[in-house]
Amino acid sequence: MNIWPFVIKKLIGAIPLLLGVTLLAFLLMVYFGPDLTYELLGKNPSQQDIDNIRTILGYDQPFIWRYLNYLRELLTFDFGMSMMKDQPVIDMLTQAIPVSLLLMLPGFILGNVLAIILALKATQYRGLWPDKTIMTFAVIGMSVSFLVVIIAFQIIFSSSYGLDWFPVRGWNLTSQEGHFSLWQYLYHVSVPTLATLFVSLGYNTRFYRAVLVEEMNKDYITTARASGHSTTRITYQFMLKNAMIPIITRVMFSIPLIIISGSLLIESYFGIPGVGQITYDAIIAGDQAVLKAVIGLTSVLFVLVLLIAEIIYRVFDPRIDSRQAA
Amino acid sequence: MRTKLTLTLLLVLLLSACQQESTESTQTLRHSEKKVYRHSEDDRPNSLDPIKASTVYSNLLVVNIFDTLYAYKYLERPYALKPNLAVDMPSISENGLVYTIKIKPEVRFTDHLAFTNGQGREVKAQDFVYSIMRSFDPNNGGTGAWLWQGKIVGIDDWREAGADYDALIPGLLALDDYTIQIKLTEPYPQLTYTLAMGFSAITPREVVEHLGQEFGSKPVGSGPFKLTSFNSDTAYLAKNPNFRAEPLDLAYEGYDPELHSKYGIQKLSGKAPPFIDELEVHFIKETSSRWHSFTKGNEIHYTTVPKDKQSAVILQQEPLQLHPQITDQYHYTYGLEAGFVYHGFNMQDPDFGISGDEVQNQKNHALRCAIRKAHNWSQKNRAFYFGLGQVFPGIIPPSVPEFDPAMSIDSVEVDIEAARTLLSDYGWTADNLPLFEYHVSGSVLQKQFFEQMRGFMHAIGYPANKIKYQPYPNFGQFNKAVKNRQAPFFFMGWTLDYPDAENTLQLFYGPNETPGQNNFNYHNPKFDALFEQSRILQPSTERTALYREMNQMVVDDCVVISGLSRNKIHLWHKNVITFPDREIVGGFHLRYVDIIPE
Amino acid sequence: MTQPLYITGIAQSPQSPSSRAWYRFKTDRWGMIGLFVVSIYFVLTLGVWFGLWGTNWSQTSHAFHQPASVTHWFGTNAIGQDIANRGIYATKVAFEVGLLVAICATLLGTLTGSLAGFKHNTWIDSVILWVMGVLDSIPFYLFVAAIAYAMSEWIFAMHLAMILVFWTETARIVRAEVMRLKHMEFVESAQALGQRQALILFKHIIPNTNHLLIIQATITFVAAIKTEVILSFLGLGVKEGISWGLMIAESTNDIQAGYFNNFLVASGLLFILVIAFNFFADALQDALDPKLQH
Repeated sequence: MNIWPFVIKKLIGAIPLLLGVTLLAFLLMVYFGPDLTYELLGKNPSQQDIDNIRTILGYDQPFIWRYLNYLRELLTFDFGMSMMKDQPVIDMLTQAIPVSLLLMLPGFILGNVLAIILALKATQYRGLWPDKTIMTFAVIGMSVSFLVVIIAFQIIFSSSYGLDWFPVRGWNLTSQEGHFSLWQYLYHVSVPTLATLFVSLGYNTRFYRAVLVEEMNKDYITTARASGHSTTRITYQFMLKNAMIPIITRVMFSIPLIIISGSLLIESYFGIPGVGQITYDAIIAGDQAVLKAVIGLTSVLFVLVLLIAEIIYRVFDPRIDSRQAA
Repeated sequence: MRTKLTLTLLLVLLLSACQQESTESTQTLRHSEKKVYRHSEDDRPNSLDPIKASTVYSNLLVVNIFDTLYAYKYLERPYALKPNLAVDMPSISENGLVYTIKIKPEVRFTDHLAFTNGQGREVKAQDFVYSIMRSFDPNNGGTGAWLWQGKIVGIDDWREAGADYDALIPGLLALDDYTIQIKLTEPYPQLTYTLAMGFSAITPREVVEHLGQEFGSKPVGSGPFKLTSFNSDTAYLAKNPNFRAEPLDLAYEGYDPELHSKYGIQKLSGKAPPFIDELEVHFIKETSSRWHSFTKGNEIHYTTVPKDKQSAVILQQEPLQLHPQITDQYHYTYGLEAGFVYHGFNMQDPDFGISGDEVQNQKNHALRCAIRKAHNWSQKNRAFYFGLGQVFPGIIPPSVPEFDPAMSIDSVEVDIEAARTLLSDYGWTADNLPLFEYHVSGSVLQKQFFEQMRGFMHAIGYPANKIKYQPYPNFGQFNKAVKNRQAPFFFMGWTLDYPDAENTLQLFYGPNETPGQNNFNYHNPKFDALFEQSRILQPSTERTALYREMNQMVVDDCVVISGLSRNKIHLWHKNVITFPDREIVGGFHLRYVDIIPE
Repeated sequence: MTQPLYITGIAQSPQSPSSRAWYRFKTDRWGMIGLFVVSIYFVLTLGVWFGLWGTNWSQTSHAFHQPASVTHWFGTNAIGQDIANRGIYATKVAFEVGLLVAICATLLGTLTGSLAGFKHNTWIDSVILWVMGVLDSIPFYLFVAAIAYAMSEWIFAMHLAMILVFWTETARIVRAEVMRLKHMEFVESAQALGQRQALILFKHIIPNTNHLLIIQATITFVAAIKTEVILSFLGLGVKEGISWGLMIAESTNDIQAGYFNNFLVASGLLFILVIAFNFFADALQDALDPKLQH
């Protein structure tokens, strides 16, 4: 199957999406975002000082001109300087995005894999005690505030009031010799991962269970069972494969958020210099240079995710493809 | 089932393995000879460019990376200035208009590519001139120009003429490589204080021009430390090995055996700072995270006690006594902040301020005074400041020498009956009271402040549906509303730039109205006249009398509900020798920090 | 391993589908308990609406951090307010936030998602996908902060922001499901019989996504209440009144200081409601599940 014409068609089709995202986001930050002027002004400014800052910030330019300028920045990948931090935006992001990725990835992968395993178990024993137990724990995970989980886990695992096994702060992945150290990584990432898991497992398990239960009721499973296939085989081969579309949808659309949004709360409680804090600070202060880059990158990622999701749908459900051909 | 078990086992194994590893690595750290001190602050700085050092957080780093002409003595209280890069205190002409300052020779900037051969060159008087000029260059977006604008001869003209760094400013000259001359338009007794602020720190022109705006994140100076890296959580600094050797003279710095010997500071006598090899400043907003990092033992060495830890730390309030398990493990000191918190009215607001109508003015005055009488400082103090804050009347806080301990405390006493009488005397009823909008930068804490204020207002019969919470998503938007006079009532804090009450009185000076610092838009010709009269005076009883007269005017006009100075408790590990101060001494104390090897 | 895949043997009844579902629901003990608890909360909410209780939630006093007593069932908080009153009042706010956001987001998500899936590969699908992509790509806090600022006078600004963000997930799931269902035999036979498109969509396709919708609505309900906690922590939460989110955010300070009442009341109320709601939703899902009915 030649996939390239499809990919190119989709990519061209994504241009309006990029324009839409950037335009809406830019509108929001220009007209409803914070005005950085008053953050950057000295005490006792004159009207001239105010105008001057607005010129430096580019606020005096017409909107359409600023928006076109933004598009140019996106195309050339040159986002300029953060007005708050006096640092090139690209530098800030290239430092922070890998950190956020390393921070979120274990929790994300484990959170989905474990959730699918648990959901399979729950489905298999539907209505019986393993199902009830798993689902009760899922509900507990869903019911507790993330904030409380972070604080509690920090006390339990990291503080001297608890087990004191892991660090509270001081994200540092290099060993004494200055190389990347897996041990250091695990040392720093464990508690954040556990906290993320605690919260996301509940949601994920619940969702995957619903999907699998639906699959299980399908006629083909009943047929498969009737024709003597083993339960395990049914579970893994037929059910999982057919449940892939909702699962992929869910997983794929979390990816851009993980890369770009990071996790503000985890980062600020564990002192991890990730992209969540940078984005949040930029939103709160109105640092448009940073926001423009973050939003631009998020929307590009979304386009890629949409594209990949479409391709995967075809792999898992060839009927969509055959219909289109018809 | 089996896979799950294997997974769990694997996880446990991994965790315990890295547990072992970590203990080893901390041990190796302990044995290494590097002295690393980890400081903590409760918020983070933005740019580290001196001309933008408008927050305590950026100032803290700026005075450690750069040199200022003057600094504050390490231990002396009340705060006293001392020469830093300057050789001596300035010599001032008879009329108080010409300052001549000599700087130390052989002081070098730290290395940077932009210098010839990449080696830091000597700091010259011209560098100081250049550094002050930068604040007046409209392309730089500096925030410190207000300190000198209209005060140094020719500096405003220089800006108007296009800010050409090669042009001369008659009032700001380098007479030779080591002599600075400043000429003033009128006497400015606070000038020397401004030369101890981060805003006047000395920057090398080559590097600034090489890096452009990026200088704010890659600063290069001649201070005791140099920046190695900087992100949203931590600033890593290393000792500047070439920092001029100036042995610590304890007597000169204000050492008092009774106050300071318990911290071991005398051990440092005669040694030249900085004593530590690496300085880390951790920016930790979340109090629980900061506390756990501090009590862990191998992370941050210093913290101020967060509000939520008061019950764990304080045993008794008057006099302050801490729990033995805290004092056994940590050193502590506590002190009044150089600043205060207050509620203010916008006097231009038609409902609460001054309008054209004299009768209405009196009614509004009564309303403001009634609200002030309803405000219960002691309850606020107890709920939000450990009960340790010092409530004082007026706008001259206890941390400045001009503070008047004998001033009547009527304006900070709650008096519900008097407030109700005042309202009814001036014809205010539940029906005609105006809508009371409480503008604030939204947060949970601010909402609690608001709810308590609403409770106070309720006590004098202000109807609940006329009290409105108006949060802004962030400080920038709140500040904009205040500067555009949209907030009739606001809650704010002020941190002093220098220990002189002029710094708070100017908040009420008419010409400083918004967008200036007079957020109250208070215009009182008598106040303004006294202010103009007092601001050119050197510290004297005469000046103090004028200050107190102005203070009384602000109180009588019920412009503010003021104020409370917070008391902060500082804790640090016992293997650290320091005497922390986050107020006016700012970051100057960090160079004197030492770690006792175990 | 020979475990039963699902429980069978539920008694047959000759009534209409909805009463059959109710009959099936009644036999689910956990579901009934869930329904009962949710109803109690609902009654609590109504009482607050009509001013029967929870009226003293804002009153402050000298008595900070009081332990539980007859006058203060769960003690008082850091500024001397009655925690029980606040917890009860916050139930109303939670229902407002949770229900409003869950219902609106699910409705919006279902309509747009099914329409997009049904009209897959037409301009309608493209436009809907475009709108969803645009909304998903904007950082959540920027969106909430902007809406909060733009509509600062309107107390439902936060609710609106959440609806605008949350519906897309439901829509995507429904869209994918509808794309699948569209090619199922029963839909194709309806198509062959020449039934109207709208009828097919509403009668044959959407009812078959019910189970996903119920789960998605519960998740949204819970997510709304919990997002409110985070937004309150960041200062972007409810403006009028008090919410469990605000109480939990306040209590993160209290816990550190050793006062647990505020935290326990707020998270306890939240926890019980969420659990009950989940049991209720599970039972409802089973009862409605068309596959289990024959």
